[in-house]
Amino acid sequence: MEKHPAGPDGPKKAGDPRRPSVRAPGEALDSPAGSHVEWCKQLIAATISTQISDPALSKDSDGAALDDPEKFQVQVQLKDVALVTGESVQLRAQDVMYICPFSGLVTGMLTLTDYKLYFNSLEREPPFFLDVNLGAISRLETINVQSHGEDSRGLELVCKDMRSLRFAYKKEADQPELVDLLARYAFPLCKGLALFAFQYQEDFPVNGWTVYDPVMEYKRQGLPNESWALSRVNSSYQLCDTYPSLLVVPTCIPEDDLRRVAAFRAKHRIPVLSWIHPESQATIVRCGQPLVGPHDRRCKEDERLLQTVMDANAQSHKLLIFDARQSSVADTNKAKDGGYESESFYPNVELSFLEIPNIHVMRESLRKLKEVVYPTIDEASWHSSVHQTHWLEYIRLLLTGAVRIADRLESGKTSVVVHCSDGWDRTPQLTALAMLMLDSYYRTLQGFQVLVEKEWISFGHQFTARVGHGDEDHASSERSPLFVQFIDCVWQMTRQFPAAFEFNELFLVSVLDHLYSCLFGTFLCSSEREKGAQELQSKTKSLWSYINSQPEEFTNPFFVDQEHHVLYPLASSRHLELWTGYYARWNPRMRPQMPVQQSLKELLGLKLELQRKVEALQKEASLCDRASPPPHQGAAPLRTAPTCT
Amino acid sequence: MVPDMKERMLSPSGLNARSRDMFGLRCLPGECVLQRAVLVRKKLTAREGGGWLAGTLFCTHFRVSFVPQDSPKPDDNADPVLLGEHDVALASIEKVVAVGPSRTKLVTPNSSLKFTPEELVLYCRDLRVICFLFDRLTPDTQAVEITYTIAKTYQPLKPGCVLAFQNAALGSVEMKQFLSNRRRDGQMNWFESVDEWERELERCGAKGWRVSTVNDRFEMSTSLPRYNVVPQRVLDTELKRTFAHFNEGRIPRWSWRHPRGSDLLRMSSFQNNIYHEKDDTRNLELVLFGSQWSLCVVVDLGEEMPSPADLHLAHSRLRALCLGDISNSVTVPDDKWLSTLESTHWLDYTRCCLRKAGEVACLLRGGHMTVALQESEDRDMGCLVSSLVQVMCDPHCRTQEGFQGLVQKEWVMSGHRFYSRLNYHRDNDKEEAPVFLLFLDCVWQLWSQFPSRFQLTDHFLLALYDSTHLPLFSSFLANCQRERCKRTQHLTQTYTPVNGWRDVLPRGGLSLSSPTDSVDPPLPSVWDWALQYGGGRLSRFTQPVPPTPPTPPPPVVLNGNLNTNPDIRRMSDTVQGSVFLLSRGSFSSPTNLLPWRGGGGGGGGGGGGVAAAVYKRSHRRAPSSESLSGLERLLKATALTDAPQGLTSTSTSTTGPQGSPLDHYEPLLPLLLGPCMRVWKECYLRGVLHAQAFSHPVSSNHAHPVVRLALEVQQLHEQLALASASSSNSSSTASTINKPPPPRHRRPDANLNQNTNNGTFLFPAPRAQARPVPPAPTSSSSSANPKTSRVNSSASSSSSSSSSSSSSAAHKDHPSAGGSAKHTFLFGPPASSSQDPRAEPRYYPNAKLPHGNRPTIGS
Repeated sequence: MEKHPAGPDGPKKAGDPRRPSVRAPGEALDSPAGSHVEWCKQLIAATISTQISDPALSKDSDGAALDDPEKFQVQVQLKDVALVTGESVQLRAQDVMYICPFSGLVTGMLTLTDYKLYFNSLEREPPFFLDVNLGAISRLETINVQSHGEDSRGLELVCKDMRSLRFAYKKEADQPELVDLLARYAFPLCKGLALFAFQYQEDFPVNGWTVYDPVMEYKRQGLPNESWALSRVNSSYQLCDTYPSLLVVPTCIPEDDLRRVAAFRAKHRIPVLSWIHPESQATIVRCGQPLVGPHDRRCKEDERLLQTVMDANAQSHKLLIFDARQSSVADTNKAKDGGYESESFYPNVELSFLEIPNIHVMRESLRKLKEVVYPTIDEASWHSSVHQTHWLEYIRLLLTGAVRIADRLESGKTSVVVHCSDGWDRTPQLTALAMLMLDSYYRTLQGFQVLVEKEWISFGHQFTARVGHGDEDHASSERSPLFVQFIDCVWQMTRQFPAAFEFNELFLVSVLDHLYSCLFGTFLCSSEREKGAQELQSKTKSLWSYINSQPEEFTNPFFVDQEHHVLYPLASSRHLELWTGYYARWNPRMRPQMPVQQSLKELLGLKLELQRKVEALQKEASLCDRASPPPHQGAAPLRTAPTCT
Repeated sequence: MVPDMKERMLSPSGLNARSRDMFGLRCLPGECVLQRAVLVRKKLTAREGGGWLAGTLFCTHFRVSFVPQDSPKPDDNADPVLLGEHDVALASIEKVVAVGPSRTKLVTPNSSLKFTPEELVLYCRDLRVICFLFDRLTPDTQAVEITYTIAKTYQPLKPGCVLAFQNAALGSVEMKQFLSNRRRDGQMNWFESVDEWERELERCGAKGWRVSTVNDRFEMSTSLPRYNVVPQRVLDTELKRTFAHFNEGRIPRWSWRHPRGSDLLRMSSFQNNIYHEKDDTRNLELVLFGSQWSLCVVVDLGEEMPSPADLHLAHSRLRALCLGDISNSVTVPDDKWLSTLESTHWLDYTRCCLRKAGEVACLLRGGHMTVALQESEDRDMGCLVSSLVQVMCDPHCRTQEGFQGLVQKEWVMSGHRFYSRLNYHRDNDKEEAPVFLLFLDCVWQLWSQFPSRFQLTDHFLLALYDSTHLPLFSSFLANCQRERCKRTQHLTQTYTPVNGWRDVLPRGGLSLSSPTDSVDPPLPSVWDWALQYGGGRLSRFTQPVPPTPPTPPPPVVLNGNLNTNPDIRRMSDTVQGSVFLLSRGSFSSPTNLLPWRGGGGGGGGGGGGVAAAVYKRSHRRAPSSESLSGLERLLKATALTDAPQGLTSTSTSTTGPQGSPLDHYEPLLPLLLGPCMRVWKECYLRGVLHAQAFSHPVSSNHAHPVVRLALEVQQLHEQLALASASSSNSSSTASTINKPPPPRHRRPDANLNQNTNNGTFLFPAPRAQARPVPPAPTSSSSSANPKTSRVNSSASSSSSSSSSSSSSAAHKDHPSAGGSAKHTFLFGPPASSSQDPRAEPRYYPNAKLPHGNRPTIGS
């Protein structure tokens, strides 16, 4: 499934002039398809190659079969596992049977490396292969496969990316046990090993670790200003160990007060600025819940801090607090020493609950969703079964909440405080979505990376616990697909505003794939502090290095950069769709009919072509007519200047 | 018509009838403004860009019109357009709701308002909901009056109102004159004359068929068209005897031929209680087998397909779900949306139709057989399935013209009961059924799964959907050609068209027992789009980036001679005259399938025996199981898109190197799984008001980036021309202008065809498409400077000459695309793009097939 940036490490197809494009390893199957390959890279390659071949593609390879050298190459390529830099083969097992839920048994060779599991079979026409990142494995189970022969062993890989793979194999005496090896590399942290990201040594032309520079980002927002200051109070993570070292707090609040506020907020997550409206100075402020407790504790400093936040925005004499939780849960939390701001202690504050259920509900919802989309999709009762997962309902709640936040900021010119319980789950979901709606910068390829780095990674979303990188404990109640939900919401927005985002669907899918893959350091660790301690920046690669090394792959050709446009997505379930391109992508029956990416890319090419023509004409014009002013420059209307050259 | 209309008319209407411009509203000839309100804002849908638009609201006796504040001054000399961008015809309105400060009231002709409305909401039959907001500065009387006026004139449909509405729209002398002089679109096939049917036969390369005029006076069958395509081997005298054997006399008729040589036929069910004479039997067999002798599959459309009543129920449920209960504005709660949607079964029916059409398409692909669609009346699902099959298989039917021709052929001419099914008069609720709307939905599903294989867009489908709700068009106001003709003939007696009768618009509608028929306006066809909508909307009917350029199939195939499929050949070797029934996805050969064979039908006993004697070879032997399995294999291809079984040898062999040119005709088989059947939101959900609350200008409505870019290039060209012309160096400039191709780059000749030889993706070098320079800039620049005009005309001459043949999509192909450009990615050498943009008119957009010895691509 995982593919690699260009193929210095991939087998070269030397001397074939008819294959002009750069090849990623492992795409032999779709080799004839030209730049279809790019599309296949992650989204389809997995799908198609896993279960079947796209008829169109196999036709192609059929055609290719007539051409001997091509066929030869196809086979050569398939026999070899393409390895990424730093990856090594750990085990090869012949005659393994893959129990494909779509097309029955496939017998072939299974290769296990320290990064992925690779299965290929040449017995089928077209050749069949399967590629699973070990990081995506949530659970390993032995299953009963007596029906496939005596002393056969069965193995099921339950994956985080919505699929389950079953294998049957025979134990060979001289080989180490497959399950043990698999567990060793799939759950390295439990075996005292390091994650594969620390071994991965690809050289990228771009360094993704530099994408997010907090100072630059705050500067872009116009900070610091007279009301807000960049504070180093947390520079050694003493104030709050899950916050970044650089915080934006009101200018007039002394550090000591901040410490007292920290004591009053869950996990010491004090209210800090996330985003400021460039015109109205209304702000999005995030924090953890106040530790009010059953006895309605108060904290003067906290009250003053919020008052200052309100005062910093001259446009409004109100402050809105959005508590993402359900009000009943917030009350329960109050009994457990948590709670919410009381409107009587905080003057001019309006508190509303967004009624979003907790992480456990979300985890359960995705589990149900998996049952609906994998392996079989029920035709007749599709809608009601999707309805029963409530997944879309939660997406709707999130979007509705974010729209409300964005609307209060944009139309109400009012500052907003967002928190949930700890301020690291629902809070980043909401703030990041609201920022995405409000600020067109975050809708660019770079800007989105900054958004994720800032709101999610630096502010301490518990990626380690929520994803469970390299951890065996699949039943952990800390796991929850919150980031997946966020990306789903972003996808919903891209559906409703196809021209507003610079990145495409492939980008979103890639981000989710690498959320699990453990190939890059981006989503490892749970806070800036941990990241620093583990020296991720020097020891691992950033996902953004990979993305930004080939931005054209991830660019939406329809993108029109409309600054200062606020997007209000329709958060009605009538207008939400299940993201089948991600959740149901393993089902071969769901493969997109049209290589959408392909046509998009062609449009991009066309655009470039036309732009070149314009430039040529302009040159000609200036040559043949120096006297009269040159024709109107294309610069103004051509706002869609591509970033991908 | 409302009696007090005269009093309600605003006074200036009579004064300046010539200019037809009243308060900025451009009226139709004879149209009267009844009421207007100023300072009104219209709520724009998400698709229109969202937000509010300020302007003036009018109510005439034909429509509710909204003229935006700064809309350009209307041009008096332009042809009348029925509906402006923000207009709604009174006949489309279903409910009028006034929203006051504290209450909401449904306004009926008799109700009185006790408050001044702040908001006026019009619920339309076509699922639009239009919302107007009165300003505080709008005079209260205007707000109240216009609400009353609309409520009084919108005419809740009842018998008789339709005629009044037609008269309001088209009844004026000027309008009648205008309509009579209107030339109809010569590009599309109207299937009204023998020539046109022959044109279709030629286009499909169907041999062995002829156009029969035996039903010229509708004596053989009242519901069939005048001209029907029947096998050449059957003489008219013989043909006449077959009518009685079919329900309503709807004998098997040819609809379409697949390039692999299969014919698609339609027929009604057999009349069983009739004596089959020996001669009859022979003719029946001839008619049914058409030009083939080998194999006939009868596809039963009765059992599995939804009945009209089912459809009606499903559609009204869907309506209620999407629009909410109009009277109390209660909508289905958001969290029940999915399950309620499922319970309407509308999507199930869509899937069912697509599946059936997919099966038929796969059968046809098998080649050399006759597939006859049989439905008891052959006037509903027969229309739907046969046209859907053609949309799937025939790229021509995915162009606007081709699609219009298709609807004309399979629906309008073949006698779909539009008049009863659409139930404009609300006098026949039992017969009402949205069969045609289901068809549009099915096509939309295909479109949404294969957008780049269509030249037409969803905007076109939506416009057609809307037009079915206007009782103005001859296409929809009759149940069959006979009814339409009755009216036309009647009219022509009293009213002589100027251009002779071939050019008269097809007019129709029922002559509604009105003795003074001459007052009935001539009804236009629905395809007269320019009459209905302004240019902006029309330009969105076709793709800015046109469909995947099809590879023209080699002519041999078109003649049905090339059969590259060994499997099929074996199948055609099977018993001559085998007939199978396809029902519920499996084949069978029941003995009583053809009532005249065997001893089946009542009274046919003796005759059957005789028939058997005559037709020994055909049915003494039982149909071989071999051909049965062959058929089933074909059908499996439908499932192929579904089932991941890899490719059966059958399909790989058909798509081998020799087969690849045919891939153009590979049916578009849609995915039918739950998630793939989607709701046509742009249609059904455009009225959902609460959803519009947060809508915003940034939406899909923006001009296509490429179109914008193309226009910009265009402008640059013009400026360049101007600049260089003024520099008096015109000779050198002319050459520079000519070098880059005329700029309006309508299509990237991007080839998505995955099946070209060697399996290599093919991206032919881009042909910058010759496009006529948009009139406005050209004329302005030419008037500015005579030299410029010369330059301009030279630049665009090559384009205008060729593009005139196919208006909207002047696609050109490049003959050598298969050769040199084989491995060019995206856009190859731009330098070569300047040569001869006129080369090789492509098969695609034109109705005619290329003839003779054209170089074939990839060979």
